[in-house]
Amino acid sequence: MLLALIVAAASAWVPARWSSTDPRSLELLANHPVNCLLLERVSRDFVAAAGEQRFAVLRVVRAGEDPGAVLKEAAEAGVAGLVLEGAFAEDVAARLRTAARQANWTLVELPPRARLRLNTDAPIVGTCEGLWPGIRALEGDAARAAPTGGPWVETNTGFLRYVRACTDAVVWIANQPPAGASLPVHRYLHAIADAAIAGARWVVSLDADLNRRLHARDPKALAAWTRIGAHLKFYEEHPEWWRWKPAGRLALIQDESSGALLSGGILDMIAVKHAPVRPVPRVRLSVEALQGARLAVNVDPSSLTDADKEALRVFTRSGGTLLSGPPDWKFPAPQEGRITLDEKDVERLNDIWREVNSLLGRRNLGARLFNVSGMVSNLLAGSDGTQILLHLANFTDYPAENITVHVAASCSAARLLAPEEVPRALAPYPIEEGVAVEIERIATSAALLLDCKP
Amino acid sequence: MTRRELLGLFAGAALGPAAPPPAAPVALARVAGYDSGLEDAFARLFDQLGGLGRLVKGKTVTIKLNLTGSPALRFEGRPLGATHYVHPRVVGAVVRAIGQAGARRIRLVESCWATGGPMEEFLLDSGWPVRALANAAPGVEFENTNNRGRWRRYARLKVAPRAWIYPAYDLNAAYEETDVFVSLAKLKNHETCGVTLSLKNCFGITPASVYGDDAGRDEPNENPTKGRADVFHFGKRPPSRSAPQELDPASRRDPGYRVPRITAELVAARPVHLAVIDGIQTVTGGEGPWIRGLKFVEPGLLIAGLNPVCTDAVAMAVMGYDPQADRGVSPFRTCDNTLKLAEALGVGATDLRRIEVRGLAIEQARFPFPT
Repeated sequence: MLLALIVAAASAWVPARWSSTDPRSLELLANHPVNCLLLERVSRDFVAAAGEQRFAVLRVVRAGEDPGAVLKEAAEAGVAGLVLEGAFAEDVAARLRTAARQANWTLVELPPRARLRLNTDAPIVGTCEGLWPGIRALEGDAARAAPTGGPWVETNTGFLRYVRACTDAVVWIANQPPAGASLPVHRYLHAIADAAIAGARWVVSLDADLNRRLHARDPKALAAWTRIGAHLKFYEEHPEWWRWKPAGRLALIQDESSGALLSGGILDMIAVKHAPVRPVPRVRLSVEALQGARLAVNVDPSSLTDADKEALRVFTRSGGTLLSGPPDWKFPAPQEGRITLDEKDVERLNDIWREVNSLLGRRNLGARLFNVSGMVSNLLAGSDGTQILLHLANFTDYPAENITVHVAASCSAARLLAPEEVPRALAPYPIEEGVAVEIERIATSAALLLDCKP
Repeated sequence: MTRRELLGLFAGAALGPAAPPPAAPVALARVAGYDSGLEDAFARLFDQLGGLGRLVKGKTVTIKLNLTGSPALRFEGRPLGATHYVHPRVVGAVVRAIGQAGARRIRLVESCWATGGPMEEFLLDSGWPVRALANAAPGVEFENTNNRGRWRRYARLKVAPRAWIYPAYDLNAAYEETDVFVSLAKLKNHETCGVTLSLKNCFGITPASVYGDDAGRDEPNENPTKGRADVFHFGKRPPSRSAPQELDPASRRDPGYRVPRITAELVAARPVHLAVIDGIQTVTGGEGPWIRGLKFVEPGLLIAGLNPVCTDAVAMAVMGYDPQADRGVSPFRTCDNTLKLAEALGVGATDLRRIEVRGLAIEQARFPFPT
């Protein structure tokens, strides 16, 4: 109980998978934002040492483990909580939930996306399934034969933004590096930014090689760990941003049955085009939810209730433009082990995408971004409307240079904040649709903060 | 091109006694990089060509930029201008020089890849300093010529004296409504045509609205989203019916036959008054990152001339190629020689003995490209 009080509140946990139960490994966390360790095995000595340094320790439980043995081990060690990772039989999950409640442990469930529990009062919701963020490599002559469009970005942001729109809980995504990979540090920075710009936390997870070298205090691994810490800290130092709302004037009405839990769907396609979009879960569809939107895309018209239809009628009567998906068009229900669209679904998606793309055209729906190929962005607004934040994550292997942002607002000042860099004041200049800002360089990720007239 | 084709080209054309194709001087300069020295280098080059004033003073000058492919595709993460696009600082320096020489209006044009949107936005997507370019000289304008643009009609420019593929081309009227036309190109290879220089740059004056893979069947598609391979490279489909159609739809469908001829026809239809080639930094092995085997190189050269065939001939010599090489000889292994085709249309001379090289000598500038 005491331990639970002295460690940070669960909502402030910055999680990482941890492979060592040696208390000396905690030295690696000095001046590091990670404050919550997920372990496959726990010991009393380690948990006590961690507690003294205000780190929370969570025991990871996997389906197939003996629940009784796990609970005994966790209780003896004095952990702060359990993490249920993967797909559990309902009776086993229920038993573990009850035990956690009785022990006053925090329970974090990280199921496959298809089993995601969005309607809970848990402080943290999340999933163990995610894409490893980055640029999808082109393979074969066909992909290289013509001077076609930009690289496709693998990202979880569409999924995460939908989940954030569904729940007020803290969102974790616990995707792990590709098996057998030995990744350069910037790929971890991508994973941090991919989650953070969507208002979620990535459960830090190192590849086996980096993990081994880190615990052996290899200087390069330590340097990589420091950079990972700096990027986590960058987002953690601005807790207000987690509460800011999507500022896009394009609303995407979606739910779990219309592809919202999949990656590479319509939300990601819009995001890759850098059109600021606000996901509106169908169950939260209302006149208020569409306030400020100019365009709305309703992916699955057949799922609308009468109240939903009335909200959309009010929206269109007040000048909003509504685009509805084809009436007979449905995404498959989410399946375990599958988080992206298959080829057939992509073909179907292209039908609606052509319409969406044509609807978007060159409209400025909050911000238009130029020279941002290989990047992901998210436009947010502060609660009083005097500040706009544009998150930018660069997933290429090179710094992004000479980016231009056209903001559809009247803004007097702009600052560029970036991990490991001092803030830079930028000079917005007026353009027809609002102001433009030029950004010279973004190494891995950045946040453009604008002071605007409400 | 075979002797038979060459003879066939001129058969029936009222040319009178065969006149040698025109030759004009070409100037070469060495420049270390894009950060400094460009203005001085261009001032020297243009002086060596007799000065820009007599060419541009009080005139509308249209500069066709070489912006190949989608701006989203980078090679090794480098800026586009360092690899397969003409560099924006080269463009800025040329614009300033032309402005200082008294041009009334300077129009920067390109048929921007797969879009009919404003050229300024395409340039911003390329990471270009649009505001600085707009302020580099009085009267700077931008026009995406991939569709009809601001004009009420397309301009129909006829190929003279005779054509192989199309008798005339429908183009954005910016190419007609100009006094001076400049081809501002990159020194690089080309997968289909062997080299991309000031001639091949002019292939890009054609609008995808008329000649694109998604061009309208009857009328142009003013919102093109694709390239021109089906119409031009492979001849799989005709251009919009509103435009002049192929002379012989049964002719060869080989891109190595068609693209050099189309390029030569375009240059004959839309004469180039000033050719400038950015060879400071570039790539060898192809025209863009979608070609395998590309290599970043730094020849450190600028080339300018008043005749595009002569300018390209000198540029080819600098690259280590014979500008009069036939098909089958590098770099024209699988294509016909665009320079010779343009020469056959009377555009300019490929014979280096007839071309005066000023500034740096070819031997001093030599930077061998792959053979």
